[in-house]
Amino acid sequence: MRDLKHLGYLEDLLQEANNELIQKAKRDGRVCIASVCENIPEPLLNLGNAFSVRLTAPNTGSMDIATYYMTGLLCETSRALLERAIEGGFNFADGVVSPDGCTMINRCVENMELLQTMGKGNEHFFIEFMEIPLKGDDNGVGLLVKQCANHILKPLKENYGIDTSDAAIRQAVGVHNHVCELIREIGDFRKEEYPRITGYEFHILTLATYVCPKDLLIPILEETLEEVRNREPEPAKARARVMVVGSEGDDSGFIKLIEECGAFVCADRFCFGSLPGRNPISLNDDEDALTQVCAHYTYSCQCPRMMNMAKVYGRKQYVAELAKEYNADGILYDQIKFCDPWAYERMLGSYMLREDYGYPVLSVDRPYNIKSSAGQMRTRVQAFVESIELKKLQGGAK
Amino acid sequence: MAEYKTVEKVCGPQRKGETQLGVLYDNGKVRRRREWRGVKDTFYDYTRWLYLVSVLARFVAKPRNIKGFFRYRWMANYLGVMHGMDKFTIGLRDEPLRIAHTAMNFVINDVTQAIDHCFRGDRRVGNDKKYSDNCVLTDENAMTAFMMGFPNVNAILREVPTMFSANIFNQYSTTHYLDVAQEWGLPGDVCPMPEAESGISIEDDFCVLGCCAVQVNTTCDGSLMGNGIIAKRLEQDYNIPTFQLVAPMRHRMDDVQDYAAEDIRRAIAFVEEHTGQKWDWDAYFACAKRVNDATRKRIAQMEINSTDYPQFVGSVFSLYNDTNYMGNCGRSPDFVKIDEKLLKLAERGYQKKRMLATEYRHRCIIWGVQPQYIIDMLYWMIQCWGVVPLTDMLSMVNTKMIAEEDTPENREQAYYDMAWLNMNMIMRNRTHGGYRVLVDELWEFCEQMNADMVMMWEHMSCKAFDGMHGIFEEQARERGIHIVWVTHDLCDPRVYSRQDIRDQFNVYMRTVMREEPLDPTIEVLPDNDAW
Repeated sequence: MRDLKHLGYLEDLLQEANNELIQKAKRDGRVCIASVCENIPEPLLNLGNAFSVRLTAPNTGSMDIATYYMTGLLCETSRALLERAIEGGFNFADGVVSPDGCTMINRCVENMELLQTMGKGNEHFFIEFMEIPLKGDDNGVGLLVKQCANHILKPLKENYGIDTSDAAIRQAVGVHNHVCELIREIGDFRKEEYPRITGYEFHILTLATYVCPKDLLIPILEETLEEVRNREPEPAKARARVMVVGSEGDDSGFIKLIEECGAFVCADRFCFGSLPGRNPISLNDDEDALTQVCAHYTYSCQCPRMMNMAKVYGRKQYVAELAKEYNADGILYDQIKFCDPWAYERMLGSYMLREDYGYPVLSVDRPYNIKSSAGQMRTRVQAFVESIELKKLQGGAK
Repeated sequence: MAEYKTVEKVCGPQRKGETQLGVLYDNGKVRRRREWRGVKDTFYDYTRWLYLVSVLARFVAKPRNIKGFFRYRWMANYLGVMHGMDKFTIGLRDEPLRIAHTAMNFVINDVTQAIDHCFRGDRRVGNDKKYSDNCVLTDENAMTAFMMGFPNVNAILREVPTMFSANIFNQYSTTHYLDVAQEWGLPGDVCPMPEAESGISIEDDFCVLGCCAVQVNTTCDGSLMGNGIIAKRLEQDYNIPTFQLVAPMRHRMDDVQDYAAEDIRRAIAFVEEHTGQKWDWDAYFACAKRVNDATRKRIAQMEINSTDYPQFVGSVFSLYNDTNYMGNCGRSPDFVKIDEKLLKLAERGYQKKRMLATEYRHRCIIWGVQPQYIIDMLYWMIQCWGVVPLTDMLSMVNTKMIAEEDTPENREQAYYDMAWLNMNMIMRNRTHGGYRVLVDELWEFCEQMNADMVMMWEHMSCKAFDGMHGIFEEQARERGIHIVWVTHDLCDPRVYSRQDIRDQFNVYMRTVMREEPLDPTIEVLPDNDAW
């Protein structure tokens, strides 16, 4: 297929945490609010002249200093982020909102705070820790509303004078939804038998929406959508259509590696993915916007820390439904090494998707930066792709 | 060089009995012989040991318990109980010896009853359906506060005998279940406690009883996630409905209290629905009084430990608090009498200036999570190096009094109190809730208890604790407090053996502190194959 016009630009953009679009927004006097988890309602960080950025540490190499502070047994995402913070890589942030969700990310941000890695010279800088719901129920919605009011809206208003009214939230949700609709529309092309976009390209686009000011991306996404609509797909099918399920997948190298092995990544159910992270938020006029945003995040959340059994079973069902919708031949469950929640989720998910839903499943753990063990991963994915091919040849016989 | 406090200086003559405890170890499953503590204390120790024999004899006299012994793999670990008690009394004399026996005998009795209750209702063993239908399964590492108003319902902590206490009596008790979980794809780097519990559930080796189960996100992400595996087994294979009770992480924040209290209400409603029993406020407030009583007594014990003559220390202190604070949570009046007895013993020991070893060199706070498989480590530290463990992280739990008078306002407050207790279960009240409760308050405790040393149990799979490693080091250095890092893997001795653990302490004492052991015969112990 012909290269997407903006792909190279976006690839370059994603090489730095402090990317060109962030710098542009900062030059325009806007306020950058960083977050570290999918459980933080994004539109609330995009009120007024604020914009949200999910922290990533592209091209991470050594994590020695973070390993001293947090030992080598904490997940590499948390260590990579802390290392980057200590290096000064996140100094663009005017505030950080962190969930006390998974333990390691919480400790990562606590270390950032104690080591004063950010906010130097900015008297308005803040770090806030939020409790997030552990169950998908109305009590959880109530909690999230209170937490967002106290730990997002309040500091935004008090520290930066940002309008946090209902109207402002609705406006931010509008922009958020527009980006989500663009991403989902582009992503829907992955359902085609001969897809007009690769999993890697789609991941680059999606990832950009998490780490750049969204409004600045809209023209690029609109143009890309048109481009994809008119794009000629590859004449040959991929050897296997694979859905990737996992946690903090901000390394597009991982998706690239999978596709280099002959697979096509048809669906992305991970924390930096589009499912469900880029589902639009529907608002009605009867209820306040904050509550509706929080309800959306509480009920649609697929984080394994949601512990009620409806959620535990529901997560696997959701994966199975997506696999069906996107015509996946197999499912790849992955976790970042040393991640506790996904260690369990991966085990139970790969068992249930295989036994209860009949999908071939590859279950892997991986480093934060796939480059540090690409060979091993490539071997496993190649074997998985071959096994799916064999199954197809055998007509699905066991 | 600092002048150390010795028994001779304090009490006059040298204390009685064995001084070189290494003679007791000979690489066997159990020790070579019992410790000689002088006529009076040896006699006392032996009679308390016989009392334990009688407890076990009563247990095995029931045919269903014999059946359970052959059905469940983990029961074999309890062959080590008679030896296990001796792990808590190394080198102890006088009141500290009596305190250890009083507390541990009670705990062992409690665990024995727990096993007995499990087997009684177990569908495979006792199969007493009427009894089982009146049981609620609760988490091993959770507060049973939401059961305080159900005096006629049995809270069954089936994970305690299956996993938790079994590892105290046999260091290798969990390894099989860890292997099972890892064969199923769970990585080996998660906390081995929930991992072992998952393995037990995967192998279907838990007793099956109860009309419902209440799970809590107890100490860590691993515990939270392990619950899903256990609940799936309960719901899908045994038709036992489960409720997941939330314990918010940031338990000190005002804006999580409503959330926590509301879920307590829902847990109670769930138990009411499945047991058919109504919440009893009289029973609740009676329990609340006992919770407060236990809190006062625990604080009093710690005040004694803040003096020059600590009495109730070591793993017995934490295990007893664990049993009383969480497993009991005011529900049994028996603990009140034991609390009183323990406090009297401690006061008497303090008045008589009783010491736990011949010499005290350092006052130490134990922080982090203790490994089950070397439960005698703290007594070893006292005897080998004269390092006195004043208190431990697991015992630094709630100190607030909860509402104990039955009034309309207090009935509303009660949900918040139960939620508070639920959030402040042992360990997680320190490992979660932000660094203030884990790091800042440690330094406050060091000051309050006049400690010059902190022994950091660095459980290698405890991400909440490990995540503050560097901060601990830097802040301790600033304060001039010695930190001894001792890494372990909680209940898996294959990663760090018992001697590996002791060696970390030995190396620090010799190289950094430049000290010689009080009793060099126990610096290296041949107990890696022992129970």
